[in-house]
Amino acid sequence: MLPLSLLNAAQNKPMLVELKNGETFNGHLVNCDNFMNITLREVYQTNAEGDRFWKLKECYIRGSTIKYLRVPDPLLDAVKEEQKMARELGRSARGSHVSGSGNRGGRGAPQRGGRGGMVRGGPTRGGRGRGRGA
Amino acid sequence: MLIFSVFKTLTDQTVTVELKNDLSITGVLKSVDQFLNIRLDSIKVLDETRHPHMMAVKNCFIRGSVVRYVQLPAEHVDTQLLEDATRREAAAQAKR
Amino acid sequence: MSGLQGYVDQRVLLILQDGRAIVGVMAGYDQKSNVVLSDSKERVYSPDEGVEEIPLGLYLVKGDQIVLIGELDEALDQSVDLATIRAEPLPPIRY
Repeated sequence: MLPLSLLNAAQNKPMLVELKNGETFNGHLVNCDNFMNITLREVYQTNAEGDRFWKLKECYIRGSTIKYLRVPDPLLDAVKEEQKMARELGRSARGSHVSGSGNRGGRGAPQRGGRGGMVRGGPTRGGRGRGRGA
Repeated sequence: MLIFSVFKTLTDQTVTVELKNDLSITGVLKSVDQFLNIRLDSIKVLDETRHPHMMAVKNCFIRGSVVRYVQLPAEHVDTQLLEDATRREAAAQAKR
Repeated sequence: MSGLQGYVDQRVLLILQDGRAIVGVMAGYDQKSNVVLSDSKERVYSPDEGVEEIPLGLYLVKGDQIVLIGELDEALDQSVDLATIRAEPLPPIRY
């Protein structure tokens, strides 16, 4: 399971982000990209010493400054389950009609993004296909 | 790239890797990649009483970027060959 | 790639550049050695107290923070009574 698939699946979920300088950010993930640049909303920022706090409506964090992210435990199983389903869908789609490697715009299964909105409920958003999927 | 090749010839030899956190680990070199990430087997940490952190670890992956030194077994490095190869690579680079 | 294949689903010890030691089950990794650990715990070493384990849950650690990943010999690891171990924390990386 790729770290970026986990991050992609963490959209709208709460998380804790620690930066290399020791500052931490607690908030809900709004969006992320393949560099692990992220935007969070409703953020509590803590300085490295842990004695000062700030509340931010929204913030952007450059991926290269991140040390680690802590995400909710249930996300792991959710991603694993999704990947399993995506794989199975992919297999049946491949079996039913012959498609080359460039499978863009095919209506079969999500090979790449792997995350239809139906699976998880919640608001779907554009730009999801950017993750590397399974 | 040359050093990468040198490391590849040293697989299955015993090396000691000194890290930038001053930890020294001896083990059997299992593999190396283009980042000079290293995999070691049957590892032993130098001064285990001071560093018990890795007691239950038998093999590990070391990130190339945190390696300070790798002590190589001299008898398995053909320095003559390495010098020649270095000159050849330098010459090839100068031409470009 | 002298990659991390073989460590997936294994219990591993992760040493970070800031000197932290984290144990957990490797759930995944990528080309940049970003790593996902599940059921992870930080092991806090101190010279005058036993090792304290702090549960961290599901963790995504950036590859550039990683110093070392070691496969834990589970039997051996469980045979060690962490409460009896006294040691300085590992030093952070200094360039």
